[in-house]
Amino acid sequence: MLKRYFLKAALGAALFAGAAISAPMAAHAADDALARIKAAGVMKVGTETAFAPFDFIDAGDHVGLNVDFFAELGKDLGVKIEWVALPWDGVFPALEAGKFDFVAGPATITKARLERFKMTAPIAEATVAILKKAGDKTITKPEDIAGKAVGSGKATAQFAQLQEYSKTLPKPVEAREYVSFNDAYADLAAGRIVAVANSLPNIAYVAKQRNGAFEVVTPAFGKKSYFGFIGKKDEDSKTLVDYVNSEVIKMKKDGRLGKMQEKWFGTTFDTPDEVKEPAF
Amino acid sequence: MTLKLFTLLLQAAIATVGISLVSIAIGFAIAILLSAAALSRKPIYFLPARLFISFFRGVPLLVQLLLIYTLLPVIGINVPSIVAAIVGLSLCTAAYQAENLRGGFESVPIGLIEAAEVTGLNPRQTFFRIRVPIAMRLTFPALVNEAIMILKSSSLVSVVGIIELTKMAQDLASSTYLPIPIFASAALIYLVINSVVSLVGRFAERSLGGASA
Repeated sequence: MLKRYFLKAALGAALFAGAAISAPMAAHAADDALARIKAAGVMKVGTETAFAPFDFIDAGDHVGLNVDFFAELGKDLGVKIEWVALPWDGVFPALEAGKFDFVAGPATITKARLERFKMTAPIAEATVAILKKAGDKTITKPEDIAGKAVGSGKATAQFAQLQEYSKTLPKPVEAREYVSFNDAYADLAAGRIVAVANSLPNIAYVAKQRNGAFEVVTPAFGKKSYFGFIGKKDEDSKTLVDYVNSEVIKMKKDGRLGKMQEKWFGTTFDTPDEVKEPAF
Repeated sequence: MTLKLFTLLLQAAIATVGISLVSIAIGFAIAILLSAAALSRKPIYFLPARLFISFFRGVPLLVQLLLIYTLLPVIGINVPSIVAAIVGLSLCTAAYQAENLRGGFESVPIGLIEAAEVTGLNPRQTFFRIRVPIAMRLTFPALVNEAIMILKSSSLVSVVGIIELTKMAQDLASSTYLPIPIFASAALIYLVINSVVSLVGRFAERSLGGASA
């Protein structure tokens, strides 16, 4: 009876799905990741748009140091940059699944990440410090957060640093994970947490943007670390990673990176050309 | 809260409405086949259909979306964000709509089907001209309900990289530090969209001739 029609329709659906799948497969014929990007004329970059001033949405426009950097890279390589914005904890799984060619982020260069991914030369310093509510006299130095509620981003190296630092304190901090740092800043403003642990360039920017609301607590408590962009470790991505890396070095030498740092952080960073042995 | 911000929210709402409507339509087509298969007495039809329905009703939509986005490439199916979002929503709503329709099909009086056969309609004609229209009429309120659910669930597709209404509101709230007016506007936009859907639904229900079989 009606089952025969069901079967026919199912067959049709399967054929349609097959055709839809085979199209993107054909694009994989070229040599390697870099060659395919050149051939397609598009480089897909994955990122999280809640990481000011590297990557954020300013009244509807996607801006930040990442956007400026990859715009320059796209010009040099002669390709268009296509952005894919995901929550941060979804970015690395999506990179491994091949949803995009590179990750902007940026991410702190850590030992664990180097084991799984390739990271470019540093684009900024990433050392972690504390952001507090302006005028909070109970926190004047990093160790004052002992026993208090402190927020950080989920699946971030900054959160790991906070937990590690917490162990060295007389009383552990109540570490809270947030989907994005923006949510942590909002809870700091609302008084649900007393501090946010994030990298210096980020919190310096936030303190400046929300003038008067937040303050950075110096010195930084984390170990000295750096931000880099992230690519895949496989053979297929080797030339692509090398290329992005050479672009970082090139822009550092010709002053373009310095200008971007000046524009987004109000200061420049002295970063090494390579991080062989991350501090953690 | 400026006009520019509100315009950005409205633009994002277009993505919400577009993705939802396409998914509801695709889901409905799949649901008709699924419910037919689920009603079959042959295991080769009803077993896969029951399995499909229990999977897509039993796994959170958020997990389904992440699976479609990141697991499928492992077996060589790499779909862009927009396709992953539509496939996820369609398959999920198909499972729910199939259950609604099954209830509808089961409520078609057997006498009507026998009458159709007696008047010389073949099984295919009986299915598409008698059973589907009656089942649809019976399940229409549930379908409108499901459409509203999917419109609201579409706020989850930002996890696969789609900027829809909720994600845009979050982005704007964090860059402008105006969470209250922005989320209130987003809520208002959702409310307006869903009110329109429910009004259209009620109008369509009336023109279908009510819920009488």
